[in-house]
Amino acid sequence: MIPFRAFRLAGASARSVRLVGILAILGIVGCDAATDRFAANELHGRVVSFRESTGVAAAVEDSAAVVGELFGNPDVPLLPESFPDGLIDLENLQRAAGPVSSDREDVHFGIYRAHCVVCHGLEGGGAGPAAALQNPYPRDFRAGIFKFKSSPRGEKPLRADLTDLLVRGAPGTSMPSFARLPEEDIEAVVDYVIYLSIRGETERRLQRFAVAELGYGDERPDSTADRLLTDGEGHFQSAEIGSAVSQIITDVASAWIDARPVEVPAPPVYSAEAELDAAIERGRQRFHGPVANCASCHGKDGNADAVTLDYDDWTKEQTTRLGLTPSDADQIAPLRRAGALRPRAIQPRRLAWGVYRGTADPESLYRRLVVGIDGTPMPGLLVQEATGATGVTSTEVWELVAFLLSLDGRKDLLLTPSSRQEG
Amino acid sequence: MVESARDHSAAESLPPGRWLHRWSIVIVGLVWPLIWVGGQVTTYDAGMAVPDWPGTYGYNLLLYPYQTWLLGPFDLFIEHGHRLLGALVGLVSIVAVGFAFFSEPRRWVRWLSVLVLLAVIGQGLLGGARVVLADRTLAMLHGCTAEIFFSLCVGLMVVTSRWWWERDGSEPESSGRRDFRPGAGLMTVSLAVCGLAYLQVVLGAQLRHVQPTAAPGGFTHLVMTHISTAFVILALAAWLAWRLSRAAGQNGERSAGCGDLTLSRPASLLLIFVLWQILLGSVTWVARYGIPWWAQVGPRSASYLVKSQAFAESLMITGHVATGALVLVTSVFLMLRLWRVRFAANQAIERAGSAAVVL
Repeated sequence: MIPFRAFRLAGASARSVRLVGILAILGIVGCDAATDRFAANELHGRVVSFRESTGVAAAVEDSAAVVGELFGNPDVPLLPESFPDGLIDLENLQRAAGPVSSDREDVHFGIYRAHCVVCHGLEGGGAGPAAALQNPYPRDFRAGIFKFKSSPRGEKPLRADLTDLLVRGAPGTSMPSFARLPEEDIEAVVDYVIYLSIRGETERRLQRFAVAELGYGDERPDSTADRLLTDGEGHFQSAEIGSAVSQIITDVASAWIDARPVEVPAPPVYSAEAELDAAIERGRQRFHGPVANCASCHGKDGNADAVTLDYDDWTKEQTTRLGLTPSDADQIAPLRRAGALRPRAIQPRRLAWGVYRGTADPESLYRRLVVGIDGTPMPGLLVQEATGATGVTSTEVWELVAFLLSLDGRKDLLLTPSSRQEG
Repeated sequence: MVESARDHSAAESLPPGRWLHRWSIVIVGLVWPLIWVGGQVTTYDAGMAVPDWPGTYGYNLLLYPYQTWLLGPFDLFIEHGHRLLGALVGLVSIVAVGFAFFSEPRRWVRWLSVLVLLAVIGQGLLGGARVVLADRTLAMLHGCTAEIFFSLCVGLMVVTSRWWWERDGSEPESSGRRDFRPGAGLMTVSLAVCGLAYLQVVLGAQLRHVQPTAAPGGFTHLVMTHISTAFVILALAAWLAWRLSRAAGQNGERSAGCGDLTLSRPASLLLIFVLWQILLGSVTWVARYGIPWWAQVGPRSASYLVKSQAFAESLMITGHVATGALVLVTSVFLMLRLWRVRFAANQAIERAGSAAVVL
């Protein structure tokens, strides 16, 4: 005979099992992935490891911890004390961050997660859930390199460039136009993108700083004075290291503040169609000529029939610049494991189609010709006073622009209004 | 299970519980729009447009000022609208239970109506938990269980229909074609389509409610599985449509390619829905992520621009969700009818003592 107490124990045990079962189910289905911290940039750590031929585990971990303290997390982003004023609106930043919601006044929160995270990822590393299915891949903001902008090559984009890209979108890619979003939401996303970029670039620089300057490897330096160590509130235990980190942040942020557009000289306006056609013909010759030599990549008359094999800078950083062959799966396997997407060759634009991912007005085309496109093999032309073996004059650049506009039937943009009407 | 049904159908020209049937049609007619609106909530990521539950901004759900609802922000409009429609479905389900216990002779059908009511209550609680806990995973689960609820409603509609009563196997002709008995292969395929259609719902929900930290590899795998499964369903649905169109008609003759219309029509409809769904799936991808690079064959396709929050595109994306629901419930509808025909044929065989031709 089973004693009554045993029944009670069995009942209690069954209840416990049920409770554990319910908790387990809730644990599996009822919990979102944690978003209270940014993942460490393991990929760049791997790049540093290749470059420096050393382990970087401790450097990656400590850099992430420091950046986490200074810049907050995906739910509650912060700006470090040393961050320059006026670049990022903290209120905007915190509205763009966090989970998605909205209120009765139609104020939206978590805008980045609502519209950007599926492609660009929580850290802005360009490896969001849907990234692998896109070509080109979404931008990795952490490198601080942006393609379509009005500033000189190698410099940060202007705020207006990012706003313009968000409103306009990038035709032929997965980058949407957010023209239907309220202006203040777009501004909040711009703030958040700049934040992710500065935060990411700071982390990358800290990893290199830790390895090159502090002697980090897989292990931390022996002396605590040489470690990226804080009191938990963003204050460094070593004043010297604290000062160096502040300088890194200031340098990265200042580059955004100092960005200026490339000046574009006024375009020549042709009063007669014959005059314009002659300029287009000169542009065409220059397109195929030895100085500009656009046809070597974009093909004859911009038909993209040239054979090319090149990669963008984000891919090169993880492959060719480390001496790795992008197509060799074994060589790049460690980087893939650290989060790199499969390398894809970059394709020059088929200009004959007249489809541009950046802005395509004459002024933007001029700027792109003289600046190139950051992060890609597209170089800029050297503009000089007189025609030479290495550069072209601004008039000759405009003739190239005229040729490009003629490819998609927009040459009239360079005609005077009266000639346009006559035409 | 069907003894009492047999008695009633023999005695009356109209089946008992016909009001339950009519009411179940009303439920089905309301649940599909409910899935549409719920889909729009996800498409617009408006699940947290109302932060509290079960009330709306402190108001009782039903007393929230309609001017603020109709003229307020779009996110609030669709989220609160979704809740109101859900409440309406709940109320209609309560009435259905009343009809079931008042007029439905089959006990299991009465309990099925209770199950429908419990399911809609469960859906409401799950939706509420998604809001209170601000949890996207629960939103995903809410989307998945919605389709089970829809299937239950369609099931209730099918088993209370006159067609169901007539196919009770009490008389030889009541089994439809006397020599038609759906074989194990047909039953397996119809069941497989139901299962795969639901798998698609789950995969689609995971894609729509993807976590921000999900790895690109996992998402890619989901997309590939979703696409592959769609074509498996297409093949099975085409086979079902073909097979049932070849089954002989009501009078025993092999008809001109239509078969028993009560089976071949839903099978054809299923095929049409699957084809439409594949088309909508492609449109959904393009609306979300643009035209894939390998399909950019000319300036028009290469210049396609994805537009965030575009209303027409959002309708197409949500239409993919809603059509997915139609594929699922049509497959459930067909499976139940096939099962009933098989059951009736078995009964008829037993009574007549004659062998049936197994298709």
